Amino acid sequence: MPEFLTAADGAHLRLDATEARLLIQLTSEFKTMLSGGRLDRGDPIYDRLFPSAYEKPEDETAYRELTGDDLSKHKLEALDVVVGALGKKGADVTLEGEDFDAWLQILTDLRLAIGTSLDVDEDRMGAEVDPHDPDAAALQILHWLGWVQEGLIEARGNLLP
Amino acid sequence: MTSPTIAPERIDVPIGEDETERDRPWLVVVHNDPINLMSYVTYVFQKVFGYPKEKAHKLMLIVHNEGKAIVSSGPREKSESDCFRLHSYGLWATLTRDA
Repeated sequence: MPEFLTAADGAHLRLDATEARLLIQLTSEFKTMLSGGRLDRGDPIYDRLFPSAYEKPEDETAYRELTGDDLSKHKLEALDVVVGALGKKGADVTLEGEDFDAWLQILTDLRLAIGTSLDVDEDRMGAEVDPHDPDAAALQILHWLGWVQEGLIEARGNLLP
Repeated sequence: MTSPTIAPERIDVPIGEDETERDRPWLVVVHNDPINLMSYVTYVFQKVFGYPKEKAHKLMLIVHNEGKAIVSSGPREKSESDCFRLHSYGLWATLTRDA
């Protein structure tokens, strides 16, 4: 079970070997997806991870030209922070400032990718996972990632107003 | 942080765009999604906008209950920067012009 301890400007997280291995696998798949050119506009996962800012196509084109691949780069940098804390024996790491946010952002991106591929709605997200559901394993991972995220947020040092 | 010592040059208003048109603010809208956690969305509003927890929590509830909420407004450049930061946190944010 993950352990959460309060740190000055974030939280301290401990994961066991199995949990760390799961995150190593998920982040590795996510990195391949981001950097391997397998995602493109029109793919629901891409559209959720890189949402349109504007409704008008000409405004959106200008916005994309302005931001370029900044969002993709940001995600890859955050991914490196998370991957850097994971070892075969687990993780035992103090997450503060930008590192803390990098973890929250990657946990979010992984949840968005899984949740979008399952096309979940609020009813399904709020329901107990049916073990006979063919998506049961993916749903359990989705909830586990959310549980880690919530644990980090609850444990964080109360520096924000 | 420094302050400008020379006044910026006067910028001419483009033809067809008057003072009120340029001043009309852009709104940053966050839309509800079934995946992001309520506690996380509240945290993001605190972090990105520096809102106190109570205000961030109220905004999150508006997004959750009404499907969307205006979370900030201002000049185009600032609103685009807010929108980008929200996207970096995985929130579904869009920009629209105040009517």
